[in-house]
Amino acid sequence: MSSDSARHLGAGDQAAAEGAAPAGNRQPSPFAGLGEKFDSSLARGVSNITRRALGPYQTAIVRIGFAFVWLAFMLREFPHRHVLYGPDSPWGHDLAVRLLNDNHAFTVLFWSDDRAFFELVYLLGIAVCVALLLGWRTRLMTVLFMITVLSLQNRSVFMGDGGDNVVHLMALYLVLSRCSQVWSLDARRARRAAERGVPATRDPAGVLLWALCGLVLALAQLTGFATTLALFDEHGPILSFWEFPGLGWGGIFWGLWLIYGGWWAVRRFAPGEPRLVGEMIANIIHNAGLLVIMVQVCIIYSAAGWYKIQGSRWQDGTAVHYPLNLDYFTPWPDLTEQLGNVGMLVMVLTYGTVFVQVAFPFALLNRKAKNILLFLMIGEHIGIALLLGLPFFSLAMIAMDSVFLPTVFLVWLGRQAGSPVRRLLGRRGAEPGTAPAAGAAPAKGVTGAEAPVPPQAAPAAAQQGEPRIPAQASAEDGKGSGSGGEPDDRRPAWADRG
Amino acid sequence: MQPPEEPRGQDDGAEPAASGRDGAVSLADESPETVRFSALSPVSRLVIAVGVGLATVLTSWHLAAAFLFVAPENTVTGEYGQTIRDYIYPELEQNWKLFAPNPLQQNVDVEVRAEYRTPDGKLETTEWINLSGIDYEHIRHNLAPSHTAQNMLRRAWDFFDNSHTDGRPNGMRGELSGAYVHRIALLRLSELMDVDTVERLQLRSAIRRVDAPQWSEENIDTSASYNELDWWTVRDNDRPSGALAPDKPAEDEQ
Repeated sequence: MSSDSARHLGAGDQAAAEGAAPAGNRQPSPFAGLGEKFDSSLARGVSNITRRALGPYQTAIVRIGFAFVWLAFMLREFPHRHVLYGPDSPWGHDLAVRLLNDNHAFTVLFWSDDRAFFELVYLLGIAVCVALLLGWRTRLMTVLFMITVLSLQNRSVFMGDGGDNVVHLMALYLVLSRCSQVWSLDARRARRAAERGVPATRDPAGVLLWALCGLVLALAQLTGFATTLALFDEHGPILSFWEFPGLGWGGIFWGLWLIYGGWWAVRRFAPGEPRLVGEMIANIIHNAGLLVIMVQVCIIYSAAGWYKIQGSRWQDGTAVHYPLNLDYFTPWPDLTEQLGNVGMLVMVLTYGTVFVQVAFPFALLNRKAKNILLFLMIGEHIGIALLLGLPFFSLAMIAMDSVFLPTVFLVWLGRQAGSPVRRLLGRRGAEPGTAPAAGAAPAKGVTGAEAPVPPQAAPAAAQQGEPRIPAQASAEDGKGSGSGGEPDDRRPAWADRG
Repeated sequence: MQPPEEPRGQDDGAEPAASGRDGAVSLADESPETVRFSALSPVSRLVIAVGVGLATVLTSWHLAAAFLFVAPENTVTGEYGQTIRDYIYPELEQNWKLFAPNPLQQNVDVEVRAEYRTPDGKLETTEWINLSGIDYEHIRHNLAPSHTAQNMLRRAWDFFDNSHTDGRPNGMRGELSGAYVHRIALLRLSELMDVDTVERLQLRSAIRRVDAPQWSEENIDTSASYNELDWWTVRDNDRPSGALAPDKPAEDEQ
């Protein structure tokens, strides 16, 4: 626990917390040992964010939630797709292009107003949602999800509402995350490969897909079809914000393409140290993304709450009455008009909404308070969905909130949802991967005995050396908690109190 | 108290693979959860440290920018507002003043009348047609109203309103919004009449305040106040293109 060991990244890992405050310490100063404490918690923090991708269930539910929202939305709007985002939109391509040239938002629909191209993009968008929902080739699908969401929304930016805004942001953030650790076909494939002892890099479909993406991107750029990604125009190289040709979205896509290819190559040819470092970098990025998602939720609720406090209607307790009487938000006018005239109810909802929204970020400090507020908020969103006719907005908000759902609950939910599905497919029930079970890293501290995976379920897999498999993580955990409860506090509270 | 433990790699020492000899040989079997940082080469540790540092800086910057973008005008945004906006726009734009500071307290109906040429060459003008009313019809008793009904006209009118001052367009956005709302009107009209005969359009908004709740003593005038725009001469590309989706059954509103 000497600062010596703490100086090594993570070497002071476990030593940390205890060592700093020896029992016999008589010193009254509350600051005693603070330096060491700081060192050790820094080391622990670094260890936390590099060793694992936190919140496997939370990121998975966010992935599933947003894929579902956008899928449902695209299917619902399928008959209206041409008027919303396509060639028949009153926000015509001519208007859209003028705005896009000004604000530089990214959309592939900028490149062409062709009907067939639009259909392709829309159908691709639907397919991508399905794949993302199922967790098939998730790292690619998060990128395609981002591309299709941005393409549609930025094509007709004045069609959206708050729900679209949330989907837009999350589509960007999800690219950073390893959101297929559980509840995904990817996890299942990895598990099976490990069971059979096949290296995960033996993946012809993946390689093919990767090559195909490169080909499509190259063709789009070289043929000049992807005008906003073009490297050159008639005047020579197109210089973008850092005065390099192709930086910007083209650079981002090629960068991601290289990273994915490189990651495969590293695992294939350098499975030792370079792979470990790659894993850790991926974890760091994932954890940063997770933090961004969480803070984004807080920003949303804080802003919504704090601006409300300043409004006279939220102060006099009548605010909720008004939306219930707006023609654009009242699918059931008879009902909502009645509700809007029940004084106490309106008052309670008005003040309650403000309380909950303002309190939310602070409630995260306490697990119980957080869960109660989550419950209230999700309830309110369901109410908004039904009464104000905003189902997609509300679903998006719920999908976003679910990043804070407790792991215990998610594991339970997964089991509930999983068993009928497995029965339907006639799968063996005790598959270690009952995805929910595996990788329950965060759960174990909370559930103790209820730790979802039998510790013995996975050691076999653990030896296989393919670290992305949740089953394996859980094996480690099982052991960890078995051997004297490796502490919960190895993970930051914001992640696993989840 | 718990004795200081070695990192988990050794803790799990029952397994041969995890027992972490410091050679690179065993690293292939290590997972990032168990490997000791000290078993990694200095270069690797440097890479990880730089990764942590970069992630910290970028995450902090992103979150600070998002927060400041959402926050009201303040000392910091006064100084660095442009930098923040350059970062946020266009993809990270966000607005969370949901029903705030006050919820909208008025119903804004957009109405249109069209001047069209009859087969015998005379110019005639339609009655005022409530376009928002068509939207309401589609929203009523619908569990999942379409964006075409709930957002298109409503947000287009907001856009128009916000990019005009005293009926004059503000720059390009003003122009775009003018074309946009009139095209929406023509699209809606195309379900009611032959828009090829329409030569000019006039839009107006009818604003009705929502009455105060029953228990309130406020006296609110709920009658409509109208605001007419100038007549708009229809250009060819304003008319809906040939294959416009006839999704919605034509509904005669008035």
